[in-house]
Amino acid sequence: MARRTRTSIGTGRPTPFVYAMLAVVLVGSMFPFYWSFLIGSGDASTIYSQNLSWWPGGNFLSNAQEAISNPAVNFWKALVNSIIVSTVTAASTVFLSTLAGFAFAKLRFKGSGPLLVAVIATMAVPVQLGVVPLYIAMSKLGWTGTLGAVIIPALVTAFGVFWMTQYLSQALPTELIEAARVDGCSMIRTFWHLGLTAARPAAAMLALFTFTTTWNNFFWPFIVLDQQNPTLPVALSLLQANYFVDYSLVLAGVLVATLPLLILFIFTGRQLVSGIMQGAVKG
Amino acid sequence: MSTTIAPQSGGSKERVRQDKSQLNWRQRRGQWDVKYSPYLYIAPFFIVFGVAGLFPIIYTAFISLQDWDLVRNSGEYIGFGQYNWVLHDREFWIALRNTFSIFLLSAIPQLVAATVIAAMLDQNLRARTLWRMGVLLPYVVAPVAVSLIFSNMFGDKFGLINTLLSDIGIDPILWHTDIIPSHIAIATMVNFRWTGYNALILLAAMQAIPRDLYEAAAIDGAKTVRRFFSVTIPQIRPTMIFVIITATIGGLQIFDEPRMYDQTGTGGANKQWLTITMYLYNIGWGKFNFGRAAAVAWLLFLIIIAITLMNNYLTRRFVSGEDAVKKSKKTSLKLTAKGGK
Amino acid sequence: MSLSRRKKTLGMAAGATVFALTLAACGSSDPADDTTEATETTENTEPVTLTVATFNNFGYTEELLQEYMDLNPHVTVVHNVAATSNDARTNYFAKLGAGGLADIEAIEVDWMPEVMQYTDFLADLTDPEVEGRWLDWKTAAATDPDGRLIAYGTDIGPEAVCYDAALLEAAGMPSDPDEVAALLEGDWDTYFEVGQDYVDATGKAWFDGAGGTYQGMINQVEAAYENPETGEIIATENPEVKAIFDQLTAVTPEISAHLSQWSDDWFAGLATGTYATMLCPGWMLGVIKGAAPDTTTWNVADVFPGGGGNWGGSYLTVPEAGDNVDAAKALANWLTAPEQQLKALAAAGTFPSQNSALEDEAALNAAMASGEAPTNAEFFNNDSLGTIFSNRANAIEVSPFKGEFYFQVNDAMQNALTRVEDGSQDPTTSWNQFVTEVEGIG
Repeated sequence: MARRTRTSIGTGRPTPFVYAMLAVVLVGSMFPFYWSFLIGSGDASTIYSQNLSWWPGGNFLSNAQEAISNPAVNFWKALVNSIIVSTVTAASTVFLSTLAGFAFAKLRFKGSGPLLVAVIATMAVPVQLGVVPLYIAMSKLGWTGTLGAVIIPALVTAFGVFWMTQYLSQALPTELIEAARVDGCSMIRTFWHLGLTAARPAAAMLALFTFTTTWNNFFWPFIVLDQQNPTLPVALSLLQANYFVDYSLVLAGVLVATLPLLILFIFTGRQLVSGIMQGAVKG
Repeated sequence: MSTTIAPQSGGSKERVRQDKSQLNWRQRRGQWDVKYSPYLYIAPFFIVFGVAGLFPIIYTAFISLQDWDLVRNSGEYIGFGQYNWVLHDREFWIALRNTFSIFLLSAIPQLVAATVIAAMLDQNLRARTLWRMGVLLPYVVAPVAVSLIFSNMFGDKFGLINTLLSDIGIDPILWHTDIIPSHIAIATMVNFRWTGYNALILLAAMQAIPRDLYEAAAIDGAKTVRRFFSVTIPQIRPTMIFVIITATIGGLQIFDEPRMYDQTGTGGANKQWLTITMYLYNIGWGKFNFGRAAAVAWLLFLIIIAITLMNNYLTRRFVSGEDAVKKSKKTSLKLTAKGGK
Repeated sequence: MSLSRRKKTLGMAAGATVFALTLAACGSSDPADDTTEATETTENTEPVTLTVATFNNFGYTEELLQEYMDLNPHVTVVHNVAATSNDARTNYFAKLGAGGLADIEAIEVDWMPEVMQYTDFLADLTDPEVEGRWLDWKTAAATDPDGRLIAYGTDIGPEAVCYDAALLEAAGMPSDPDEVAALLEGDWDTYFEVGQDYVDATGKAWFDGAGGTYQGMINQVEAAYENPETGEIIATENPEVKAIFDQLTAVTPEISAHLSQWSDDWFAGLATGTYATMLCPGWMLGVIKGAAPDTTTWNVADVFPGGGGNWGGSYLTVPEAGDNVDAAKALANWLTAPEQQLKALAAAGTFPSQNSALEDEAALNAAMASGEAPTNAEFFNNDSLGTIFSNRANAIEVSPFKGEFYFQVNDAMQNALTRVEDGSQDPTTSWNQFVTEVEGIG
């Protein structure tokens, strides 16, 4: 369905110039990975070397091995925790955001305008002080030290709700909803069949963003979890627990920890490919 | 390009409100399904917010009126004394200046670039997934790697950029001494991380544009650029608004990048790149004056709301509804309105 | 010292050095038998789990903790490590009142002004058994106004002068540690004058930057910024502060490498031999060794301008709200006993604050010569590092008063020095701005 032939797509056919521009962007995007790999494949002094070779050294595997097998790091437990936390958070954020976005974008209810403004306003509150009250709240609820304390505050985000609202208001034709309702679909079935389908490309991206953000999140998990039950950034931060930090180990460890994300990218990438709704609208 | 973006961004709420569909069928389902299920759908957000977001906000508001002791979790009511102090502090205004400067240096180029990249990605590319995933890579890089790379690049004495400059006979730039270079460096870090991210958001919106609109425009003889401005931009307006609002909110709260910019994280010896959130953090966690920090948080909140409203107002003023696409939209709205009532 | 607490990626356990992975080091140090006497098993032998939270690298290896568990089979010790003292500090104060801290929490000396305001949340660790265990000033800094001892000292940061022997030799100067010590013996003027000679001979910088050097100087002033009696800020009128500022800003244009400590440029400068000397507390050895592994000519001279000085150091506290305060106290007591601190020194370079450890020069030298290769002794071409830092510890005469506003004033001063170093302001302008900023504190 997503693979409809697209002959006169978008704003034109790509010229070699477009490919050249995108290639520049791609090289720029990949640079940090390559640079991390360069440092991660050297030794502790590589990062401070004035004549950094653009050819990697030979220590990547041993550095990665050392980072992972450091007993204090607790890598495997952290990996499992990170997968749990990121997956649950991403799935829940996508579902609940799409649900709320569907309501805000396409359903009519009293107070929807002010409520949407309220959602957006919550994003404008600076979070730098939030850690203390949030900790107090989690502690009163008895959730500290558990993955729940990381997952629950992130189950749905204002960002996600706002995005899905805007996306669906554009991508989901109101006629379709009307048609579905005329056919006797309940509200939730309408959401299920139309809302979720229409939202798919944006939802896939929201999932990717949420997963990545959660995956890299350090500070809150650091406060509320401990080394016995960490997420990956909390566990890997131990590699920096020294007066002189060996960044070849840190970057090798970080790169290994990024691999699951890259794998996820390869799978999710296909979901982003295309406008499912054209088919639906026409059909 | 920047001028075309800003004007597009408003009017959203109106449209959203209109679009909020006209579903009043009462045939099979009880009235409550129509009337109340929307509340059910938005409830999870507000429940989670109630658990994890509301208390911190109330707490911050409460302690901003106090001389607050964080550890003892108690304080003495002092009215608006903290606000007064902050508004008379020179550093606050410096931080405000820096925040706006960095915000403008990052938001405008970033949104322009994101839109252009999204438009390029929206074409019939070979190996589409590769290109699309490629632009998101900077967002995936672990923060520690990002901060290392950029401090390596922007070092005043041994940094990569200054080394290259001196190789070609140009004086080194004092990235950590002069105000504007430090803002440019920080904006570069921000743009690096977020351009691809915003490009993909916009791409998702572009993908949802019915292709026949382009075909129609092409038949009318519109060239690529013209199609972009008359079809693409108007069609993605809701998402554009979303991107602008979130970029504004995020940009004015900018914290990680300037904090990572040097080893002290306090904004420079002469506060060259101190931003409001760093100022807030320094007062709270550096000076242990959490009441005052909370007052800064609320002032920043009000500033962000004011800027967002201003944004909205400006966009509405500039939005003209004169293109073909919009007309067709209006027709469809009329249709649905008829069906709805 | 304030430099440390603001540091982002490189937190400071003042004293944490060397590599984290020196697990083997402990096995090679003294066997467990000398530790039994220090162990005070509480009468309660119910199984208990104790959490110990440290940051950076305290040298508390798994072997060391296992040793305690072997001695006290009913105790399980769990160790939580934060990478940076900054993270640890946020965590500490976020939970000190709210609850949720570990049974034993490490703190850095820089947090003391704040910790002292909340000593009622910390258990009183006063115990006849530990009386006289630490240097007097170390204990005094951890005693609250009511006379309660709220923290057990771990390490200190006695300062010496580190230098690159090859660079001195190239300048035609003596490079043997004793000769360098003799050359630099004296006050700060001497250090700067010798520096000027070096600069004249080579055209290269003498020391890294004004920040660290200033820290060495100001730590010799008893009451620099605040009146110990009244707490009033006196920084801007204190002639000693102004004198140091003037003295330093007068020499920095010529002899400083203008690198601000812990910046990337500073590390790169260290790796490329940009300057010949730097003030160095014991834990700095690991930094030099890590950042400049290819330089084989660093050494340490048993000398410090103007006498002695301490930079950094940590403590263990026991939060009163913990479930196992007595058992935690016993473990903190054991961990900070001289025998254990020597093992920590071997594992992580954390130099002891305990009198009997400081007196045992042979053990200190041995600890500095153990650990992962190259050991400190090997890298610095010096097998009496223990003796040197022990002497430097004994040379410390002044315990500077640090009140509520110490770090704010010190930050302002560090910024003032940076503005002069980076050329953005002249000393007078910078000092005036410092005065304005300090007047706004409070």
